[in-house]
Amino acid sequence: MVAVPSSEVAGFQGEAQAQTSGRSLRQIVWARLSRDRLAMVCMVVLVLYYLIAIVGPVVAGVFGISPYTLHSELISDLGGKPFGALGGISWAHPLGVEWGTGRDISAQLMFGLRISLVIATSATLMTVALGTVIGIVAGYSGGWTDNLIGRLMDLVLAFPFLLIVLALSGVLTDRLTSLGIPEGNVSHIVYLILVMSVFGWPYLARIVRGQVLSLREREFVEAAVAMGANKRRILFTEILPNLWAPILVYATLTLPAYIGLEAVLSFLGVGVLPPDVTFGSMLASSVSYFQVVPTYLFIPGTVLVILVVSFNLLGDALRDALDPKAVH
Amino acid sequence: MVRSKAWLLRGFAVGVAFALTLAACGGGNAVSSQASGGASGAPKTGGTIYLLSLNQQWDQVDPQRIYTGEDLAFFGGTIQRSLTSYKYSADAKEGTSVTADLATDTGKPNATATEWSFTLRDGVTWQDGSPVTCEDVKYGVSRTFATDVINQGPTYQVAYLDIPSAKDGSSAYKGPYKKTGQDLYDKAVTCNGNTITFKLSKPVPDFNYTVTLGFSPVRKSDDTGESYGQPGHLVVSDGPYMVQSYSIGNGGKMVLVRNPKWNKASDPIRANYPDTWEVDFGIDPKVMDQRLIASAGKDNFAIQYGNIQPENLATIFTDPEHTTAQFTGRAVSGFDPYARYYWVNVNKVPDVNVRRAMWVALDRQAIRLNIGGAFAGNMADGVIKPNIGQDYASTGLLDGSLDWEAGTKVPDNGDPDLAKTLIAKSGKPAPTLTFNFANTPTNAKTAAIVKSSLEKAGFTIKVAPLEAGQYYSIVFDPKKSGEFGTAGWGADWPNASTVIPPLFTQKGGWDLSQLDDATLNQAVDAAQTDTDRADQSKKWQDLNKQVVENMWVLPTFFGLSQTLAGKKVGPIYRWPAYGSWPYGQMYTMP
Repeated sequence: MVAVPSSEVAGFQGEAQAQTSGRSLRQIVWARLSRDRLAMVCMVVLVLYYLIAIVGPVVAGVFGISPYTLHSELISDLGGKPFGALGGISWAHPLGVEWGTGRDISAQLMFGLRISLVIATSATLMTVALGTVIGIVAGYSGGWTDNLIGRLMDLVLAFPFLLIVLALSGVLTDRLTSLGIPEGNVSHIVYLILVMSVFGWPYLARIVRGQVLSLREREFVEAAVAMGANKRRILFTEILPNLWAPILVYATLTLPAYIGLEAVLSFLGVGVLPPDVTFGSMLASSVSYFQVVPTYLFIPGTVLVILVVSFNLLGDALRDALDPKAVH
Repeated sequence: MVRSKAWLLRGFAVGVAFALTLAACGGGNAVSSQASGGASGAPKTGGTIYLLSLNQQWDQVDPQRIYTGEDLAFFGGTIQRSLTSYKYSADAKEGTSVTADLATDTGKPNATATEWSFTLRDGVTWQDGSPVTCEDVKYGVSRTFATDVINQGPTYQVAYLDIPSAKDGSSAYKGPYKKTGQDLYDKAVTCNGNTITFKLSKPVPDFNYTVTLGFSPVRKSDDTGESYGQPGHLVVSDGPYMVQSYSIGNGGKMVLVRNPKWNKASDPIRANYPDTWEVDFGIDPKVMDQRLIASAGKDNFAIQYGNIQPENLATIFTDPEHTTAQFTGRAVSGFDPYARYYWVNVNKVPDVNVRRAMWVALDRQAIRLNIGGAFAGNMADGVIKPNIGQDYASTGLLDGSLDWEAGTKVPDNGDPDLAKTLIAKSGKPAPTLTFNFANTPTNAKTAAIVKSSLEKAGFTIKVAPLEAGQYYSIVFDPKKSGEFGTAGWGADWPNASTVIPPLFTQKGGWDLSQLDDATLNQAVDAAQTDTDRADQSKKWQDLNKQVVENMWVLPTFFGLSQTLAGKKVGPIYRWPAYGSWPYGQMYTMP
């Protein structure tokens, strides 16, 4: 898992406040970001991806394109290779068809993208929620609460994540089913979201805790304490609004990491169930054929890379906008 | 009992790898006929043949524990002799007929086939020069009874020899290490000079085939129990080669050199052309294919353990019968040992009409296409594969001649309407079924096809992928398994007594359908003990028909597989006996 080292995100607040001249931080950041062409391009790309994921399957359905329809007539009986150049690319199947079954790859990508984004986005939201709350509590309380949470974070970080996810997938999805989550793909997706966030929150919590440690010494917090504000108000009304910058940057960088992680897990067989596919399972079934039909590997690979790179570049740009003097 | 790893890589839904693939009527060896000429000619004495293996080590080297067809063929051809062996021939009939090996003939039964005796040849020695005795054979056979030490091998010794059962159903004889019940074994197996006699608990008319499996001598003084054959405890040879070294893992090797004490006069079967055999372990199957396709340097003398990867098949073959010009005489395509099927748990799916509907709805054409199309095999009409020889007869399943098919041929891509009619006959709505498979990318695509084709007929299908290494241990447990799943089975020798009993009786050992039917058990028993071979064949054919009438399993394919060799090895054909290379006859070319 990719985490942002806390040293890189420290100091947002000081920078931002040096810029004040009647504009809010949000306006300043947006002004900087909109001057960054690369970031704008990435943002457009990402909006497109989300649009495709949301409306793509509906549109595909209208045109009668389905990722589940077999096209035996498009593949050779001698080994299952798609007819035609580049994995059977044609007007009807612009990205070709799958080796062995003839299923449409563009439709598979659209449906797979939807699953990948649902998993990565929800897991990121959950990670952020968990990490922020736990981080604030640890940083502000100090003392034994901080110590306890600190050790808990060490413990979670020390777990051999991949091994556990692979080993426990069967048992835990069954457990989820018995807890009333619908059997099949839903419980598999919930499982992935849960493990990603359960193992992902400490990275953010550490960053938040560090920020809170310095924030709680600031005058406005002292003022709030002096006025007799209760702890909840101090944590979530006074401190939290000052944390959104590092959290936002962390989230934009975690999302692509989770997309990649989901691909890794489904590559290893702990993903959604057939007949559904995601990036990872498409890559897993295409690696065998890369010498014969390279496009089968490169098309899902490229789509995945563009998605992940866009998120990463946008995250970097956002960090620059929030903290222009930071040295990378 | 899951042995071969090759099936996983090839993406086939099979786990067992047993012996015999009696290639026969199916044209399994058509490619090989082009081969004999080869590129550069005549067999040469000397040189080294390299066997490239994707595995990290041999599953087993111990003569009583080997049970994979290719391994039986390799060790049988080089360092381990058994009482009888198969002839080396590409011909389906000749290549699966037994011939005397350690024994002077193929065994003498008494009138009821309950007692068989074999006389050992003179002049057969171990690699140190001391003679192979009747006691060595007797000791070797006894090792299988020590099931806590000598596991995973063939167990016909235990099933057939006339030794009473203990209370828990296992044999009262516990093997030569514990020696419990040794007197019972000494009564059942006796040595008289050079003649060994086996007393059997019931008539076994084909016992001379049984003794090809695990009836090999082991000298008591060499036996190290569980570790026998492992690195550090090398197997002692009585064949034309002996083990010089054995190391395991990536880069591991087994090297066989000539056995100086081997005496050609005592061995009519093996030719022993090369000076050395080298088995190279841990080679990635993709790399292996590329090396053999290039065939450069020592890879000229290399042969493949495992199968050609599906993506390369179209480069090497124009169709399953013919190679492309470049690969003439280097590649073999033929029946592998297995009939593939989907088991159906008959307790969870008790209604025969529902099981029939499952088969009828299944899009077998799309599944076959997914695993390689014409290269993957032919549609199966039962569990007995045509290459078994006389025990096979068409069941009529694929012609639509069974009563319930009502005269209509069920199309290979399934008939959802007929399936719906059959479900209606059962009087209940179509059930929800869980499909088990070993989790590989190819199997996942197959599962998608199973799901979509059965759901067209009204079933609701849940897919349950299982970790490949644990597939069989899970599906054998009815509490953990679903209603149906993938499997495959190959005969151990050309008699369906090694197919029907294991698959459909509780004590058979491979009863994935959980069938336990008294009438069926009786019929199986009657067929098994029938000493009239023609009559026995008839009974197996009837039972095979009963299988598809009742759809205890859903037959899918009779598998084909393809292998490749370098430019300068021969002979290139698939030995029908084990569906393997004819190791004992192989040579290098100048």
